[in-house]
Amino acid sequence: MAEFSAEVYQNEFLSDGATDVHAIVTVTCTGAGTAGAESGGGVAEIIMVDTSGSMSGRNIEAAKHAASVAVDQILDGTWFAIIGGSHVANRAFPYPNARVAMVQMEPGARAEAKRAISMMTPGGGTAMSTWLRLADQLFETLPRSTQRHAILLTDGKNESEPRANLSSAVRDVTGHFQCDARGVGSRWQVDELREISTALIGTVDLIADPSQIAADFEALMRASMARGVASAELRVWAPQGSTVLFVRQVAPTVEDLTTRRSEAGPLTGGYPTGSWGDESRDYHVAVRVASKPVGSEQLAARVQLAVNGEVVSSGLVKAKWSADEALTTRISPEVAHYTGQTELATAIQEGLAAKASGDEATATVKLGRAVQLAQETGNDEATSRLRRVVDIDDEEHGTVRLKRNTSTLDEMALDTASTKTTRVRR
Amino acid sequence: MSGADAGPGPATQPVDGPLDCPACGESAAPGSRFCEGCGTPLRTAAQVPLVIDPDPPAAESGSGPGSGTTAPTAPASDPATAARPCVRCGGAVADDGYCTECGEPAASERDHWSEIPATWVAGVCDRGIRHSRNEDAMALHASADAGATGFAALVVCDGVSAAPDSDVASLAAATAARDALARGGPGGAEPVTGTLSARMGSWSALVASSSQVANDAILATVGEMADRDNPPSCTFVAAVVDGPLVVVGWVGDSRVYWVPDDGDARQLSVDDSWAQEMIAQGIPRADAENAPQAHAITRWLGPDAPDPAARTAATVPEGPGWVLVCSDGLWNYCSPADDMATLVRATQEAVGTQPGANGPDPADLAGALVRWANAQGGRDNITVALARFAPAAGTPDENASASTR
Repeated sequence: MAEFSAEVYQNEFLSDGATDVHAIVTVTCTGAGTAGAESGGGVAEIIMVDTSGSMSGRNIEAAKHAASVAVDQILDGTWFAIIGGSHVANRAFPYPNARVAMVQMEPGARAEAKRAISMMTPGGGTAMSTWLRLADQLFETLPRSTQRHAILLTDGKNESEPRANLSSAVRDVTGHFQCDARGVGSRWQVDELREISTALIGTVDLIADPSQIAADFEALMRASMARGVASAELRVWAPQGSTVLFVRQVAPTVEDLTTRRSEAGPLTGGYPTGSWGDESRDYHVAVRVASKPVGSEQLAARVQLAVNGEVVSSGLVKAKWSADEALTTRISPEVAHYTGQTELATAIQEGLAAKASGDEATATVKLGRAVQLAQETGNDEATSRLRRVVDIDDEEHGTVRLKRNTSTLDEMALDTASTKTTRVRR
Repeated sequence: MSGADAGPGPATQPVDGPLDCPACGESAAPGSRFCEGCGTPLRTAAQVPLVIDPDPPAAESGSGPGSGTTAPTAPASDPATAARPCVRCGGAVADDGYCTECGEPAASERDHWSEIPATWVAGVCDRGIRHSRNEDAMALHASADAGATGFAALVVCDGVSAAPDSDVASLAAATAARDALARGGPGGAEPVTGTLSARMGSWSALVASSSQVANDAILATVGEMADRDNPPSCTFVAAVVDGPLVVVGWVGDSRVYWVPDDGDARQLSVDDSWAQEMIAQGIPRADAENAPQAHAITRWLGPDAPDPAARTAATVPEGPGWVLVCSDGLWNYCSPADDMATLVRATQEAVGTQPGANGPDPADLAGALVRWANAQGGRDNITVALARFAPAAGTPDENASASTR
């Protein structure tokens, strides 16, 4: 039986007249078990492999191998399907002439699925909206499945349709299933896959060489199979008359949840968090309350995790007004750390966008700020990725020069990893 | 509550509708959860256990933590276990100890309570804002009727913050003194009788001894804490209203004011404080009371009390008005008697008179004065107890004012 706990990190002391309360809430899940163990066969997996013409050669062979490896990781009893995607989407398995849209995994199905994968051949363009919509249709044939997860692999730009088609498909399927998106090589668009993975509560990553796809798929599918909690909702209660400024996931990656709010009860917003394995996620919650006289105390937020509509853990965010500057000027190290990491992600993305559009001045300032923030927050991985794109003159002050002739792969690696955060050192 | 859809204005109370307010008697609108008049939570008839009490006490002492020795009133919910509604907005308080509506921390019974022993006597004791606990205490007693035979005893004790556990001392002291004074009231064990001047003498003696009773109660309650370097201790102030007579007694700097509806107000008690000693030596009141050591009291109750006998003063006020007993949580913001009178009259104006009532409601007024002190910063615990003094028409035979201080 999964157990959740919530820990709150904040400086609850506010100076006279202050109104904004910030807190980091760490939610930890233990004993999650395996996918479907508690929901009883309600788990469904779909693997979407790019079969456009550009995949010809090493890419398609590596992708087919990776799909087979992923199929090996799918637990018996899990419903699954394989989709080959180009400018149209095709169900590769169950075979197109099969009467069922998805089948439950068992040794015979596994062998047959691998045979179907081996017969996938590249050709045509790329229209990922069709892939997502087909996956959605297949999942919809299993109305009782409570945990739906997909992997999407592409090597190229979504060139066969207007961008709006992809966006509208993403909107339409949001909340229906979760999706991890992977791009192989350097010819795909980071923003396209990020749009998919962000909305569908998954991850986005770059796979530099096709030989690495299999290991990545194996890890993704194994992680998915270890998520024993099908779905959970983050709930934020804030007092009458207050404003929730933002709700962000800040670890393991930065995801702004603010606009995904749905009403979960009186004064309470619900934010989807997808499925959970044994893991820990950090959330940054900011609430604006009316200032109270020095000496007053009030609860500024209850941050809770709810599974199947039931609150399984709760953290209290408090506000205490004080005239003691020693208390009120103290900055919570956790809040400072994640505020910096969030700004780091923004600085990297804006810096790279400016560089791509030829605005070198803005790019230099933004990426310089990113170098500074990465150093301040101890994000060494970000620093080393930044070094491939800029020459650092002064890390502390963020003085950098843009490198000439940087590799596209390095820039894409920096971009895709920009939202990955390091944990605060406690 | 389930009575929300009860018909409008029923002549008799529906079984599932809210009962009239148990505290102030205000009739409850159908569906209301809290009294319009005083904010007391309302219960429906179905929720009140049927208690058959053929001889309810004429004066009951409210639901406060000090009511242990008197019969609790029927509507008083169990303060130890019942989830009290939020003191700020009336919302429900969650298990995590905070209001589900406004986030206010749950107030314990000790942090905030009211006593309304009769329609003409009421008090509110509140933690204030700055202090983390309420070391003030009060205990009130009153006969049902005011006027010529009306009797009330109001006791307020302010625990010394610098001495730990003074909240225990103050509550024990206030309760014991109130009970000692009630013995002299009508229906008490040793009723005070006789002419006005005889009663004046008897009450002065009784008030002086009640502070000793209070001191004994502290010693009995604090036990081994008495051996501390800084043992629990508190101030003491009491006011007895016996018909036309008002007798007050004090140890420390908690006060009694006489606030007539017309005319000059007076502070009836005289602080036992450093500030008062300075004022006696000719230092201007404002300077003395704003000095850093102004609040150092020169007398108190407790294991190390120098002299636990209250100094007393007796008076026969003219005309209607308020006997106001308070801790420094109120008077710090409004020390001179004239200022206090201005505040009380303005507050009374703002609170208004409940329809059908004979005069301003003391519970409303006490609550409003506590809110006012909190609005000024609530730097200390705040206790305000009020008796509506309205002698019957026709002056008593001995219309004398005397002081024994």
